Amino acid sequence: MASAGSGDEKAAAAAMITLISSDNEKFEVTEATATLSQTIRHMIEDGCTDGGVPLPNVTSKILARVIEYCKKHATAAAGEEGSSSSFSDAAFLEVDRAFLEELEEFDDAFLEVDRATLFDLILAANYLDIKGLLNLTCQKVADSVKGKTPEQIREMYNIVNDLTPEEEAEIRRETQWAFE
Amino acid sequence: MAPPPTELIDDVTAEILLRLPPDEPEHLFRAALVCKPWLRVLCDPDFRRRYRAYHGAAPFLGLLHRLQVLQGSPADRFASTTKMPDFPRPGSHGRHPYPLDCRHGRVLIQMRRTVGETKLVYLVWDPVTGDRRVVTVPDIDSLIETAAVFCAADGCDHLDCHGGPFRVAFMGLWQPTTMKKSLRPADCECYVKHMEDAIREDVFRIPYVQPRRAAVIGDEIYFTLRQGHAIVKYDRANNRLSMVNPPLRSAYGITLMVLDDSSLVFVYTEGSSLYLWSREVSSERTVVDPGQVPLVVGSAEGAGAIFISTDAGLFTIELKSGRVRKVGEPGVYFSVLPYMSFYTPDRGRLLSLSRTDDL
Repeated sequence: MASAGSGDEKAAAAAMITLISSDNEKFEVTEATATLSQTIRHMIEDGCTDGGVPLPNVTSKILARVIEYCKKHATAAAGEEGSSSSFSDAAFLEVDRAFLEELEEFDDAFLEVDRATLFDLILAANYLDIKGLLNLTCQKVADSVKGKTPEQIREMYNIVNDLTPEEEAEIRRETQWAFE
Repeated sequence: MAPPPTELIDDVTAEILLRLPPDEPEHLFRAALVCKPWLRVLCDPDFRRRYRAYHGAAPFLGLLHRLQVLQGSPADRFASTTKMPDFPRPGSHGRHPYPLDCRHGRVLIQMRRTVGETKLVYLVWDPVTGDRRVVTVPDIDSLIETAAVFCAADGCDHLDCHGGPFRVAFMGLWQPTTMKKSLRPADCECYVKHMEDAIREDVFRIPYVQPRRAAVIGDEIYFTLRQGHAIVKYDRANNRLSMVNPPLRSAYGITLMVLDDSSLVFVYTEGSSLYLWSREVSSERTVVDPGQVPLVVGSAEGAGAIFISTDAGLFTIELKSGRVRKVGEPGVYFSVLPYMSFYTPDRGRLLSLSRTDDL
């Protein structure tokens, strides 16, 4: 696996972490990439990552996507730290801006997945406690729910309506304004 | 892969629903009708707390307003600025129902309690919960007065202080000659002197307190005076009144505003420019529509917005983003009172349905 790249090779090369998906596939990542997950960060701090980190809730397909996200954002975090001391320098600001734009484009492209994958990414981000990824994916779903009727939301996300017709009628009566 | 356990699904559902915007409350109410697990998440006290914390400042839900004196009283209504219908405004029992302030989820209205009664009371009304409290107006023979309402709970973040303790601060101008000594705070000599001088100078130019919305910063309440735009500060902790000199005395129609960093800003318009003066720095911005004669008629702290009245209607301008939104029809506005609160489905029948045994 490629390292997170650029200037942090000397630090990163020493600390590689192996992540093991539910279908037993092994992924080797730098510590900088892995510690975007608070769950893994705590495991590293507790010294229980020898022999790899088993992630029984995450499939290899989803883990590969999560790592792709973390690599990109770990580089971004490293870049931000590096430039913060010279933030007054216009050239650095320009670089930062370009990088932020690139990151935004990456995030937009990253979200181009089917709904099942998006939902699996949310579950993984929640389990691994990756704040940025959780925010990105949840906001995408929240935006897709906005302006939809309850029927459309159920259809989009395969949700079974378990409210009785009486309960549904009662809620509608009470909050009719929301459905007009 | 087996489906994830219910608690995990609930966790994730909460994460998603948390991100629905509070200034468009219909989305949460529609989500409540999707299925029982969603209804349960939305009515959970933990979600209620997290939703408010996640969004920070309470959203702008609607407004009450007063017109310029000669325009009479506007219709007794709470005008919703969201999809929600207007909150039913309490009956006024006769003339002069004056909305004076909105803050921390409460509305302060000066009105008569019952039909035919001459004595005025302050009604502190919470539109979201429907709670109404009556506060006696101080028995002072004032020429003109105003009042402010604010939450009195220690250390409150004001995101959800419905039903908690509150205070009403009263500020009035009365004839110094007829003023009872006992009602005169020891520290307000300079204010009284200022009025005496001004009244001797010109009886028609009395520096009366403006019944506009006050600004509240912690224990300090700021009111504006009509003449020269002087600002009177009441320091509640020390029971002290003092005057703050305005940055300029010539502007027409000024509004005080509190920014997120708790600084006080003096806002007014001149020509088609909007001026903001804070105590240290000044800045200047241009209003979008130079054809009109815009007037600042209020501000919404937390939302970082001001209200501008123009011939084309009443608008809010968010100072950070510059976003402009029309919130009312054209009118001769005197004071606009923004109502800011969270309106979420965790109440009434929805709450009881979410707690039924089969969920």
